Amino acid sequence: MNVNALIEAFQAELLAATNLVELDALKRKHTGKKSGLKAAFKELRHVDADERASVAAALNQAQSTINAALEIAAERMAASALADKLNAEWADMSMPGQSPRRGARHPLTVVENQCMDVLRRLGFSLVDGPEIDDAYHNFDALNIPEHHPARDMQDTFWVTGGLLLRSHTTTVQARVLESKPQLPIRIASAGRVYRNEAVDATHLAMFHQLEGLWIDENLNFAHLKGLLSFIAKSLYGEGRIRFKPKFYPYTEPSVGVDLACSICDGEGCEACHDAGWVTILGAGMVHPKVFREFGFDETKVSGIAFGLGTTRMAAQWASVSKVKALYDQDLAVLHDLHRPPHRGEA
Amino acid sequence: MKISASFLARYIQLPDALSELRMLFDDIGIEVKRSWPDTGLFSLELLANRGDHHSYIGIAREIGGRTGDKLHTPDIALRKTGTPPLPLVLNTKGCLLYSATLLVRSGEGTPLTTDEMGILDAAEIHSVSTVVDATNLANLELGQPTHCFDADTINGAITIRDSRPGEMAWPLFATERVAVPEGTVVICDDEKILAIAGVIGCEESKATADTTRVLLESAAFDPVAVRQASRAMAIATDSSARFERGSDPTAVITGAGRVVKLLEAHGWKREGDTGLVGDWKDEARCISINTQAVARFLDHPIDTPELTERLERYGFSVDANGDDLSVQVPPHRVWDVEFAADLYEEIAKSIGYNDTATNLPHVDMGALPSAPERMKRAVEEVLLGAGFYEVFTNGFHATDMQERLGLADGHRLTNYIQTTNALDRGYGLIKNNCLAQAVEAVAANTRMGTRPIQMYEWTRTFHPDASADNGVCTERHVLWAIAAGDTETNMWATQARTASAWFLKGVVEEIATALSLDLQVGPADPHNPLHDCMHPGRTAAIVFRGETVGIMGEVHPRIVAAFKLKRSRPVYLEIDRAALLSKTERPRYQERSIHQPINRSLAFSLPPKVSAGAIVNTMKDAGPSWLDAVDIVDLFEHEADGIAMRAVTFSLRYSNDSGDRSAEAVNQSAEALIATVLAQFGERGVSLRA
Repeated sequence: MNVNALIEAFQAELLAATNLVELDALKRKHTGKKSGLKAAFKELRHVDADERASVAAALNQAQSTINAALEIAAERMAASALADKLNAEWADMSMPGQSPRRGARHPLTVVENQCMDVLRRLGFSLVDGPEIDDAYHNFDALNIPEHHPARDMQDTFWVTGGLLLRSHTTTVQARVLESKPQLPIRIASAGRVYRNEAVDATHLAMFHQLEGLWIDENLNFAHLKGLLSFIAKSLYGEGRIRFKPKFYPYTEPSVGVDLACSICDGEGCEACHDAGWVTILGAGMVHPKVFREFGFDETKVSGIAFGLGTTRMAAQWASVSKVKALYDQDLAVLHDLHRPPHRGEA
Repeated sequence: MKISASFLARYIQLPDALSELRMLFDDIGIEVKRSWPDTGLFSLELLANRGDHHSYIGIAREIGGRTGDKLHTPDIALRKTGTPPLPLVLNTKGCLLYSATLLVRSGEGTPLTTDEMGILDAAEIHSVSTVVDATNLANLELGQPTHCFDADTINGAITIRDSRPGEMAWPLFATERVAVPEGTVVICDDEKILAIAGVIGCEESKATADTTRVLLESAAFDPVAVRQASRAMAIATDSSARFERGSDPTAVITGAGRVVKLLEAHGWKREGDTGLVGDWKDEARCISINTQAVARFLDHPIDTPELTERLERYGFSVDANGDDLSVQVPPHRVWDVEFAADLYEEIAKSIGYNDTATNLPHVDMGALPSAPERMKRAVEEVLLGAGFYEVFTNGFHATDMQERLGLADGHRLTNYIQTTNALDRGYGLIKNNCLAQAVEAVAANTRMGTRPIQMYEWTRTFHPDASADNGVCTERHVLWAIAAGDTETNMWATQARTASAWFLKGVVEEIATALSLDLQVGPADPHNPLHDCMHPGRTAAIVFRGETVGIMGEVHPRIVAAFKLKRSRPVYLEIDRAALLSKTERPRYQERSIHQPINRSLAFSLPPKVSAGAIVNTMKDAGPSWLDAVDIVDLFEHEADGIAMRAVTFSLRYSNDSGDRSAEAVNQSAEALIATVLAQFGERGVSLRA
């Protein structure tokens, strides 16, 4: 029995094997019941006793060699087959994704939600009111009497029946005060307001506001600034803000809050009218006349009222220089604001 | 108002750099609309309550209040009043004080100097004549409007009175005489109206370059009277803008004195005394404040001397008694300073709004989103997940929008709430439906090749309603959504889904699920105002608790064509917000049987106009209590004898809670259901498919 010949024959055939099927056949041929190796083991009983041990050891060694070689070859071929399979299954991952695409909230709603998220932390609740209202709630109750120039600040759409399209959401504050709720009052109102003025890319007949009202005892000017600062920083981070005097008939003192323009970073651009600053908040301490109008004693209660120009804020948020674009229902614009362009492969 | 920094510097110390001046303007609340650094000009937006800001002196005083620098006033001629040059009769409450001064030119006279004209040039006021230029200059400097009449055109006395019915006047720059509304305060002689008080002079008495004798008017008029006159006659001037905001009555003589001073330097001479009529007296209004209260209000350390000094910068007089201050309001602020809060504002401005304390008030607890907010977000999650984008549409309808809907006269949607004073015709009608704007938005996006087109909006529509609380209209809060074309783009792996009524129905069902709301889609409701705007065969009502709360379906082809949409077939959905806010109960856990339910399938062939839903309802009604569900699971469209038929497969699920339900019992039930359906719908062409 020539063990070496068996191994040599096996190795020659192993070299010729190209796949797992051939390898399996080779395994059966060289290690199976009808293999030469098995036959050699059966022949052992005919080998001289003094040689039997050494022959058996040689056969065992041969069997181990063949099995090891088969195992290595099997692993190699499996790896190769897997590689071939993976190679064949290459997919172009630069193709666009195929899951259903999500839409998006309008930037105005995004901003409004952000504002309310901030205000709710301070205990403000959202309340609603009519868009067609009367002059009392829009003007008179808010210390804007008839024939006062302050009415010119809010060019008004009058409608049939002597009513008007609200020119500010402060009407809701008036209605809340009229209902005389218990202190503290912390409410916010948001929505559309209307101005009867020449329309262009930056001035619209309809736009959005969000206003807040906080009535309590012992609120002061420092609290007003603290609240406005908290709102501005919660919404815009630690960017530069500043306070400036303003005039609103229903507050005294009145305050404007400016934010360094996010589009030009304070350098001056079309969106900020070259000022480098954008007014994002108008506010003030509730005017004594407003308190008196609704039967509150202004010596015992004080109040903070503020309004956010959510249209302008949304324009800043979206880096839109002309607010009209926000009201054009242009889905391409809204899509681009929501979703970065497909960039192909990284 | 447009001013020059170089001229402003004559009245108050200014920062060296224009950029610092701009910051200073912002700091004191005078908004810069625009600036021209190369010329040092600023266009200012002045506060509506601060008439005194309408002049160089007024702005300078405001700057001085912040910086503490002293004000420099222009030269004024001798303030001498006495016998008027013409009889003066004041016969209206609309005039507080009225002065008249006669000036006579000796020789040719000279125009204002280039330097003096510089202020007018900066304000873009063109030169007219020396006397008119002088009045304009004095107004810009001091904020006291004055007017010069040609004295030789005045006949008899000067009377200040309310206009009478039918009176006419010829305002400057007008091409003809115009009617003066009754009750307008006017300046007259014995024959004619010389001026609309505080608003504008008249052609017949105007001073020209040839005029040698002028009557200089300087007056204080009631702000409301001037505003009413300006509005009624649709004439707005610098003068009316100034008087409407309340002028300084003590500036009547000062303003005249400044004009006289200017004219005396240019060949004119005052003749006689300045006549003055009027009842106005400085009431010396006093407001009490307390130093400690101010300090608490501002949360800023301040003592009485500092407080006094800061208020005096603005012209207030202070009488201090310890921490108690009696603050007298100067005449130039009587129109806007009334309360302690007004003084607090002055003090805060003087210190600087950015230099006082900033403290957030203490808050015990925040607030949770309200039920409407939670509902809105839940609905939005459904819409966003389905690929919709939120949009905002205008609150108005253009008139052609109504026409494009093609509705018959008298249709409910032809009734609008209208604005009565819109500057633009496009804002005459307040919208009463959302469909028109939605289809228009689809058309606009289609023209731009944008895909997919899926939009929604939360909005309101407005409807005439005399029985409403306000006696005019009701506001309806709605959610609308529209979709057209493919609902997805770049679908290379599978075929893109096209927006259809069934797609929208799925959205409605998902909204109902998200809100645990029993919204149902049922047969179209012809009473819905939008019913006539929808495809008659492809629309349905959205129903909640038996009430129609919305509509959905395909937009009527007539409207689609009117908006020039050629291939697109938009589908539209609208739901009342109130219905979405209804109180609901979440589904509750139900014990599940350990035994499998028994399922059977039935297929019926349905002709047009027989809905699968009707078959479902029939089987549900006729089936035993243990028929748990009847679902539509498949549809095969085919033609039979030239009729478009639909083979619809229904899945019946029978409960088997105790595990002893026999197949025979189930089969008997199924056979009974077949019989019921055929009995009810057989005559309409429904048949069982083998």
